[in-house]
Order: sequence, then structure tokens, then C-alpha cells
Amino acid sequence: MINASHKRSDFIERSMLSALAFLKEATMSEEYANRKGFLQSLDPRFKTISLLAFLLTAVSLKSAVLIGILYGLCLILALLSSVPVRRFLVRTLLFIPLFSICIVLPTLFSLVTPGEPVWSFQVLGVSGILTRPGVDGAVLFVVRIATSVSLVVLLSLTTRYSELLKVLRVLGIPQIFVLTVSMCYRYLYLFATMVENIFTAVKSRVGVVSRQRQGQSIVTWNIANTWNRTTQMSEEVYMAMLSRGYTGEPRLLSEFNAMPKDWVWLLCALIICAGLFYSGHIL
Amino acid sequence: MSDTVFEVKDVHYSYLGKFPALCGIDITIRSGEKIAVIGANGTGKSTLLQLLDGLIFPDHGHVTAFGERLLENSQFDAKTAHLFRKRVGLVFQNADIQLFCPSVREDIAFGPLQFGVAAQEVKRRTLEVAEVLDIQHLLDRVPHQLSIGEKRRVAIASVLAIDPDVYLFDEPTAGLDPLTVRHIIDFIVNANRRGKTIITATHDLHIIGEIADTVYVFGRNKSIVRGGSSDSVLNDRSLLESNNLIHMHRHHHEGREHVHQHLPLEPHD
Repeated sequence: MINASHKRSDFIERSMLSALAFLKEATMSEEYANRKGFLQSLDPRFKTISLLAFLLTAVSLKSAVLIGILYGLCLILALLSSVPVRRFLVRTLLFIPLFSICIVLPTLFSLVTPGEPVWSFQVLGVSGILTRPGVDGAVLFVVRIATSVSLVVLLSLTTRYSELLKVLRVLGIPQIFVLTVSMCYRYLYLFATMVENIFTAVKSRVGVVSRQRQGQSIVTWNIANTWNRTTQMSEEVYMAMLSRGYTGEPRLLSEFNAMPKDWVWLLCALIICAGLFYSGHIL
Repeated sequence: MSDTVFEVKDVHYSYLGKFPALCGIDITIRSGEKIAVIGANGTGKSTLLQLLDGLIFPDHGHVTAFGERLLENSQFDAKTAHLFRKRVGLVFQNADIQLFCPSVREDIAFGPLQFGVAAQEVKRRTLEVAEVLDIQHLLDRVPHQLSIGEKRRVAIASVLAIDPDVYLFDEPTAGLDPLTVRHIIDFIVNANRRGKTIITATHDLHIIGEIADTVYVFGRNKSIVRGGSSDSVLNDRSLLESNNLIHMHRHHHEGREHVHQHLPLEPHD
């Protein structure tokens, strides 16, 4: 009985701690961004623009084969950028296409997408027919999602967040928005650590076993306490900004150093996109 | 009195209108002085620094800076406010508050950029300041990856990049290792030699002798119980003990149990 109760109350804690650990690992580790590799060596502006161009191409193309070529290119870039392909595939292929398959599942059948039947079956007296347009559409959708997600993941893995934020400025995003996002990023880690510490402190006082109701009240108290601290800290951070001359219109540093290699890469990327568009047009 | 930097007259301040933090403070600080504000926790030291930095404003009394009375931002002429912020820099106690940018480089550059310093000059200053505080290797790091000592040095660098006339330090050595404490003391002493006015809030009596010529002791009643030269204040044992700044210390020493006060200036036998 104690075990069951313990498992239930522990579930929230474990879920929160796992979520925090994932958050830290996914957004803060910058493990791959600090490695030496092809994408890491590019100017972040050129890298972002080229990968965005690939993304737009993937979204616009109507041929799964051509999008597949882009996906292949994405894997080659991952290899050249010291990103372990197995981990990259797990991160991109395992979860996101699974969700997209769930979304497109109904469109496979003749009931939603009529057309040439490819396979028919009967389950518990109910017959279903998979149609060619349905299958083609589903394949195109899943490949497009997988490629788009892979490109975005590749960009985020190989670029430091501070550089990504600077690129946003270059792309014309208002500075106040960029400052807000960058501060969210900056303090996310701090608050994640704070919540973890609170859990550890609670555990050291009440022990590992706590009743479900007690566990709920601890989590509720934790949320309220974090809210209080964030409010207080936001006021203090604003004071620190004022103290250093902030007047409501932030001016931020933009420091990039484009090399001939960056221009060559951008040109290559645009030629690839144009080639794929042309192929898509004549196919 | 053209060399007066701050004039604090009968200042009272309370949080939320009911928790008093300062009661009847009078201080005059002149250009180039080294001042320390000491007191136990919760005696109003940090509040005073925030008042001097124009971040909060007194309920009663007034603060004058460089001959101009500090008023709420809404009543502050934008140009005067801008000039004031350029001349006074506050290093917060919690470096995580001061370092709000995604990289150390951007944090150091933030201040000069707000004051309209040209980008090239900001980059030059960033490198120069980083060299002074020996943090060149941290420039592209994310603040949350730094140790407390590194964060404190970056926080000082972020103020040094503005090159203010007055430095306000809130507990600059709290929780730091001895070597980092040494670096920070050296920085404060050198800044003062270059003519900067230094005001430090601390309860670390060991550093007072170096970082301050004049010391103000804040008491539990949130007012100044005594002001004077650092030597005279540090030698007043009963004053320090009654204000929770020293305590009796018991330990074994040369084979006997030994009880003495923890004093910053006198080594015990």
C-alpha cells in the first residue's frame, strides 16, 4: 500500500525532474555547438539562412523523393558537423513522425481519400481500403515533417543559443522581443536548478516516501514559491538593467564575421534549392 | 562643496510602506573617497546602495547626487538620468541578477551600448575590461555556466565597461574563495587610486582596512550608529560586538582551549 502510494506521489516528482533535466540538456548543454564541425564553422547568419532556405524548399516541394534528397543532405551535414547520426535519428525520426503518422492515419483510407485501392482488409467485420492517393499524401506529409524537424534540430544543435538570438536581430526581429527571449533563456536554467534544489531540500526533510496528498501540496507549494521568487527576481533584474542605462529601448551587440566560405556555402545552398524546385517543376 | 558626490539627508525608507529599512540616514560622500557601510544582515546596507543608485526613492528626506536631487524616473529629466547612470555604477550582491544577457560578452557590452557608445568602441572596451579582470576566456560563455567567483568578476566587468565615476559594491566578497577576494580588493583599491569614488556595503571586516578610509556602522534600528575612520571603528570592540559584527570564538590552540573575539585587525596569541 505504501509502495503504491509512494509510486503515485513519486510520479509527479520524477516527471518534473525528468522534464527539467531534459530542458537543461536540450537547450543549455551546447555540447554539439561547441564541437568542431562544418556547420559550427559557418557564420550563424549564413547557416540560419541556408537551413531556412532548405526548410522552405522542403515545405514547398510536392515530391517525397525530392524531399528525401533534402533529408539525405541533412544527414550528411549532421555527419560533417560531428553530430552522432544515431542520436540525431532517434531525436528526429522516432517521435515526431510517429505523431504525424497518427495525424495522417485516417487519410490513408478510401473513406477520407478516395482513389485507386492498394490494399483492402477486414477487421471485426469492418472493411478498410487503403488508396494510392491516401498513401502518397501520407508519405509526403511524414517525409516533409521529418525533414523539416531534422533541419531545425540540426540548426539548434550546431548553434549556440546566444548566436541564434543574435541572428534573430539580424533578421529584423524587434530588439525588445529578442531581449525578452534571451532573458527567458538566461533564467530558464536558473529556475530549473532552483526547482530541483527545492525538491532535494524537501526530500531531505520529509524523506523519499510521502503520501499522495502531501506530494500534491509540496508541488503546489513549490509552484507558488517559484512564482514568488521569479516575480521578485524580475523586479531586481529590471533594476539592474536600469542601473546600466536601460531606458526601455534596448541596444544590443551584433558581432559577426563573414568569411568567403560562408558566401560559397550560401550560394551552394541556394543552387541546391533552385535545383530541387526545378526538378519538382518538371517531374 | 563642488566635490560632493552624494548628500543623503534624513532619509527614511520602508518596504511596502510598513517594513522600515532605513531610518534617518545622514551621509555626505565626496569625490575620490573610499567608504564602507557595515552592519549585520537586514540593517539596510543594500537599500542605501539602491537609493544612491537612484533605483528606489526615499519615503522621507532626500538624496542629492552631483548637486542634483534624485527624483523618481517620471520626474527625472531624461538627459540628467542618463548622465547620472553613466557616472554611478552598482555591482549587485547577486551576480545572477546583474548578468541577464545570454553571453558574458553581451553582458559586458550592454551598459556602454545603452549609453550610445559606438559598436567598435564597445568591442574594444569589452576586450580591455575582460583583460583587466582576467576573464578573456569567459567572453563567449553563458553566465549560468560560470562559478560564483567568475560571475562576480563578470558583474564587475559589466560596470567597469561603463567607466563610472562612482562604484557601489554590494557585498563584493561574500561567498568567494580567498584568491578571488584578493582580486576584487585589488580592483577596488586600484579604481580608487585612479580617482574613482568607492562605496562598499559589507559585513566582511577583514577587507575593510583596505577598501575603506571611512566606515559607517548600521545598527538594528536601521540607522547609523557610528561613522569614522576605519581604524577607529574596527578597534571599537564593544561597538562591533553590540552590532553583531564580531563574535566570541572558542577553539583549541597550542594544547589549551582558547576563547577570543573574532577581530579583523589584531592577530591573537
